[in-house]
Amino acid sequence: MSRYEINSLLYRLKKDPEFRARFLADANAVLAGADLTDAERAAFVARDMRRINELGGYLHLVMSVPGLAAH
Amino acid sequence: MVQDHAEAFDQVLDHMPLTYPLHETLANGILEQGLDAGFDLALSWEAPVDHAFLAPVNTMLGTRAIPPLVPIFVNAFVAPQPRAHRCYAFGQHIARVVAASPWNVGIIATGGLSHFPELSLPRVGETDVAFDRRLIQCMESGDHGPLQKLTADELHKTGSHEFLNWMVLLGAVTPARATVRYFGELPRIDLAAVEWQLS
Repeated sequence: MSRYEINSLLYRLKKDPEFRARFLADANAVLAGADLTDAERAAFVARDMRRINELGGYLHLVMSVPGLAAH
Repeated sequence: MVQDHAEAFDQVLDHMPLTYPLHETLANGILEQGLDAGFDLALSWEAPVDHAFLAPVNTMLGTRAIPPLVPIFVNAFVAPQPRAHRCYAFGQHIARVVAASPWNVGIIATGGLSHFPELSLPRVGETDVAFDRRLIQCMESGDHGPLQKLTADELHKTGSHEFLNWMVLLGAVTPARATVRYFGELPRIDLAAVEWQLS
């Protein structure tokens, strides 16, 4: 588990529109240097907020990333 | 303080300023005496005040002048959180500092009752009405003992993380009994508006 990295990424995706745009354009490239397990990386690439939450992403973050929020 | 992609309940705060007057003397008293009393407090010079703080300020004051504030942040969500009894003890500390001060101080706590159990996305929408009614009954009767015994596990499983904010206030107002002005069992969250008259 890379809970800190997961939540850092979610926070940047929420707060940094430029980072978010790059992520939406090419998630794999943006995540290349991220310290994530294969499962965590796959969840981000799939934009699967439910899975990201299961893997340790805080609820309020997974519910509030613009354009990716899961309610 | 316009927030990007704000929920409707935050959009009503769009007209509010970004910064607020701080009651620095009272804030420093709570901080310094708190450290002396064994509370491991920290301070921030630039913490943003969001809906948890601005919603009550907006509701209570509207367009009237805003008095100096002392915003106090409790880590309600990120484990390891302070325990309920510790938050209560901190509230008692606030009451001691305020009692020894020359100022009239209003104490406000915000936070929902049960919602977001276990901070689990599939469980968004669930509440625990029985649990919330028990909390309200304890507050109405001034029975704060059982509330101080609430465990981190109970608060997490019922989605009552934000009740830690209430616990701070309860410590500050004890032994006063709560008057319930509103209790709503809503689709996704239980909410209450509760008031304590201090003599």
